[in-house]
Amino acid sequence: MQNSTKREYNYPKFAVVGHPNKGKSSIVSSLALDDSIQIGDTPGTTQVKRGFPLKVDGKIIYELFDTPGFQRARRILAWLNKQEPVSADKRADVVRAFIFAHQEDERFRDEIELLEPIMDGAGIIYVVDASKPYGPEYEVEMEILRWCGQPSMAILNLIGEDDYREQWKSALGHYFRMVRTFNPLTTTFEDHISLLESMSQLKEEWTEPIKVAISILENLHKEKRIETINAIILNMQKTLSFVYKQSIKGQTATSKEEASSKEKYQQKIVHYEKIQRKAIEEIWNHKGMEKIEDSLVLDEAGLFSKESASIFGLSEKELIVTGASAGAMSGLGIDLLFGGGSLFLGSFIGGAVGGLGAKFGFNNLYEVKILGRKVGKRELTIGPMKNLNFPYILLGRALYHSSMVAKRSHALRESLTLDDKTFYTEQIIDSEMRKRLEKVHVILRKGESVSDELLDEYKKTIQESFKKLM
Amino acid sequence: MQIKYNKITFNSYLDFLQLLQSYIGTHEENRLFALKQKDLLNKPKEILLLWLNTHAFRVPKVINSKNFLTHIGVVTNFLGLFALIVGFFTGMGLLSYNGQEPINIIYYLFFAMMLPFTSMILTLFSIFSRGKLLEFLTLLSPLYWIEKVFTFFSFKHQFDLLKDSISTKLQKWIFLKRLQLLALLFSIGLFVALIVMVVSQDIAFSWSTTLNVSSQCFHDFLVTVALPWRDIFPSTIPSLELVEMSQHYRLGEKLNSSMVAHADKLGEWWRYLAMATFFYAILLRILFYWVASYILQYVLEQEFLALAGVNRLLREFTTPFISTKASDSEKHLPIREENRTHLKAFKAMSQDQYSNVIGWNFMFDEIVLINDVKNIKVSSFDITGGNHTFEEDEKVAKEAKERVLLYVKSWEPPTMDFVDFLEELIHNKAVKEVEVFLLGTSENAYEYSKKELAIWNRKIEGLGSRKVWIIDAK
Repeated sequence: MQNSTKREYNYPKFAVVGHPNKGKSSIVSSLALDDSIQIGDTPGTTQVKRGFPLKVDGKIIYELFDTPGFQRARRILAWLNKQEPVSADKRADVVRAFIFAHQEDERFRDEIELLEPIMDGAGIIYVVDASKPYGPEYEVEMEILRWCGQPSMAILNLIGEDDYREQWKSALGHYFRMVRTFNPLTTTFEDHISLLESMSQLKEEWTEPIKVAISILENLHKEKRIETINAIILNMQKTLSFVYKQSIKGQTATSKEEASSKEKYQQKIVHYEKIQRKAIEEIWNHKGMEKIEDSLVLDEAGLFSKESASIFGLSEKELIVTGASAGAMSGLGIDLLFGGGSLFLGSFIGGAVGGLGAKFGFNNLYEVKILGRKVGKRELTIGPMKNLNFPYILLGRALYHSSMVAKRSHALRESLTLDDKTFYTEQIIDSEMRKRLEKVHVILRKGESVSDELLDEYKKTIQESFKKLM
Repeated sequence: MQIKYNKITFNSYLDFLQLLQSYIGTHEENRLFALKQKDLLNKPKEILLLWLNTHAFRVPKVINSKNFLTHIGVVTNFLGLFALIVGFFTGMGLLSYNGQEPINIIYYLFFAMMLPFTSMILTLFSIFSRGKLLEFLTLLSPLYWIEKVFTFFSFKHQFDLLKDSISTKLQKWIFLKRLQLLALLFSIGLFVALIVMVVSQDIAFSWSTTLNVSSQCFHDFLVTVALPWRDIFPSTIPSLELVEMSQHYRLGEKLNSSMVAHADKLGEWWRYLAMATFFYAILLRILFYWVASYILQYVLEQEFLALAGVNRLLREFTTPFISTKASDSEKHLPIREENRTHLKAFKAMSQDQYSNVIGWNFMFDEIVLINDVKNIKVSSFDITGGNHTFEEDEKVAKEAKERVLLYVKSWEPPTMDFVDFLEELIHNKAVKEVEVFLLGTSENAYEYSKKELAIWNRKIEGLGSRKVWIIDAK
C-alpha cells in the first residue's frame, strides 16, 4: 500500500537540513516565496518539518521541506555505528531502523523530523553559515546524512559579513558532490532559478520536473510583472482623471469650502495610491510587510510634497519639453480638424503655450480647477489633475515601490525601507518614452477615456521602465 | 443552482458590477471554478455569467437592481405615455380646422417630418461625438430635462450612484435608446391624431408659403420626399393639379373660389401626410430605435467585459493556479521575555579561580590561542563535543569539581548535545559553579555579539539551574 502511494507521488522532494540557526527557514522562505514562515534568532524556531509544495492546479511539481536543526547528532551517529556493520547499500535501512526505534523518544524528535523526509526519498540540501568558521562538529551531521544515501548538495549561506567559504568548500567537498553559495536575504529571481537548476542535477529523474518547475516559476514571475503594471496603470487612470465634487451653499465657494475640498481631493488620491501599493504587495506575496518610508518623500503625505516632486518628478527643463509636447498634441487636434490647412500652426502654438505654461507652473505642485455647476444647485469640482509633473511623480513613486517589493526576498523579516533619494524618474523614463506617456496623460487630464491602442502603448512603455528597475 | 442570469442584461450588468466591487474570490477558487467548466473556457461571456450565478447570493444590494429597474421602467412608461399624449394633442392642434382657413400642410410636415428628421440627425451626431460636444448635444434633448424629474423620486440616490458607476459610453446609449422610444411614441401620437381627425372631421388642406415657390417646384419636392413609397403607393402622391389648386394665399377674407369648387379634392392630401408621418416619423424612428437597442446591447456586453475585475477573473480562470505555500500551519515558538539573572560580570581569570577549564567543540590549538589572547593562565584543559565520544565527555564531566570554566563558540547556538553535557556537569555534586564563556571568531578578537549572548542566556535560563552562569565580558 505504501509502495503504491509512493509511486503515485513520484515528484522531487528536497529536505533543507543543517545545524540549528543556519538559515534553513530563510532559504525555504525565499524559495517558496512565502514570507509567513517563522524565522528567528532562537535556535529551534522550527520544531516540526513543514512541506512547501510547488503546486500547479493542485498537482505537485516538487516539494521543499523545512526541518528542525540537528540537536543530538553525536548520539545518532553513535547508535548507527553501534549496529552490526552493513554494506553501503544497506546503510539507509539502518537509519530507518533508528527512526523506527526512536519514534516515541522525545530526545530525538528533531532528528526524526529531519530524517523522515530524507528517508522518504527527499534530496538533501545541507545548509551552513559560511560567514563563520568551519568546525569538526559538523562532520558528525554530514556523516549521518551520508548514511541516508540520498543525493545531496550543500548551500553556503553568508549570514554575517565574514567569508569562510574556501574553508567550508574544502570540508564539504568530502561529503557533497555540489556546493553552491546562496544568500536568501539578497537573492534575486535569477539566483533562485540557478539554485533550482543545481537541484535538478542531483538525480537524473528530477531534471525534467525541475525544468518544468523553472518554466512555471518564470511564467509566474512574468505574470506578476504584468499584474504589477496593470495595477500601476489602473491607479494612474483613476488618479489622473479623478474629480472631487462637493455641493456648496452659496453662489461661490468660501475659502473654507475650497480648502476642505482640496484636502479631500488629496486624501482620495493618497487613498488610491495606498490601494495600489497594497495590491502590488499582494501580487508579490509580501502581505505582512511593514514599510519605513522617508517622512518627506515617500510616505502618504509625501505624494504632494516638493521633495517628492524633486525626486520623482521631472526637472524644469524636461517639464518644459513635456509641456510643449502635450500642448502640441492638443494643437494637432485643431490641425487635423482643418485637414492640415492650418499649416500645423495649431501644433506650433499649442507647443509654445504648453511649454511656457509648464515653465511658469513648475513651482505649483498641483493645480486645481473649480468648475461646473448643476441645474438647481452649485457644485465645487476639483480635478482632474492638471499639473504636468504630477503623473511622473505618481508613476515614479509607483515604479520605485513596485521594484523594491518585487526584488525583495521573502526571507527578509525587517521592514522595507523606502528612502532611496538617489532614485530619479528620469533614470528610467527617457524623453522618447515620456512623449508616449504624455499622449495618455493629456487624455486623462481631460477626463476622457483612453483607447485600447494608446493604453497598450502606455503599458509597454511602463513595462520598459519597470524592466530597467528590475 | 438557481439560474438567475442567463444573458447579459442591464440587470445582470448592475449585479455583476456590484459583485465585483465587493467580492472577486481568490485565484485558487476561480481557477477551480473554471476547471469545472472547461468547455466554457473560451467563452468569456458565458463563463462570467455562470460565475455570477454561482455567487449571486453575494451580490450586495447597494443598488437593488430588480427594484431599481422596475422604478426606471415605471418612470419610462410614464414618460412614454406622456410623449404619446403630447404627440396626439400636437397632432390635434395642427389639424384643428376652423372652417375659415385650410390646414397648411407645410406646417404639419414640419412637425411630422422635419422635426423627427432633425432629431435623428442630432442623434447621429451624438453617436459619433463624445466629451463636451456630447454633453452639449444632450442638453438639446428634451429628455435630458424631463429626466430631472427623477430627482424627485425615492430612488434618486440609486440613480446618482448608478450614474457614477457606469461608463459615459453606456450612459450615452441608454439615453439614446430611451430618446428614440419617446420620440417614436410622440410620432405615433401624432399619427393617431391625424387618423382620428381625418375620420372625424372634414379637413381642407392647402399649402401656403411666403417664399416664391411655384406649384411645380412644390410638387417636385413632394415627389422627392415620397421617394421611399411612391412606387408602392403612387396614389398617395398629390397630382400637380391638386398642388396648384391647393395653394392658398391669405390675402382677402375668403377662400379662393377654385379651392371651394374642388373642396372634395383638398381632403386627398391626408394620404400623403399619413405616409410621410408613417415613413419619416415612425418607420425611420423604429429603425433608429432598433439600431440603438442593438448597439446598446453590444455596448452593454462590451462594458460587462470591461468592468474592473473582469480581466483579473478571466486571467485567473485561464492561468494555472501556482502555489508554493505549506499546506499545514506553522507551530510557533512561545515568545519568552528575556531575563538576565544568569549573567555574571567578567573578571580577570586564572587557573587559581577554576578547577577545570573545558572547551566545547574546540580544537586543542584553538584553546591554546584563546588562552593566550584572553590572558588566561592554565596548565591544563579538556576538550569535549565535536569529534569526541560520549564516554570521553562523560569522563570529563564526572571528574570536574568546584568552579568550571566552559568555553563555547558564541556563534553556534547551544544544541541539546551541549545541554546534555551541561546537565551532566550540573548533576555532578562536586561541581559548585559552571561559568560559560562565549568566544567569538578569532577574526573578531573572540568578541561575541549581544544577539549571541541573548541566545545563550535564553537557553541557560531554560535549564533553571543556579549553578550555571554566563560570563558577560562586555
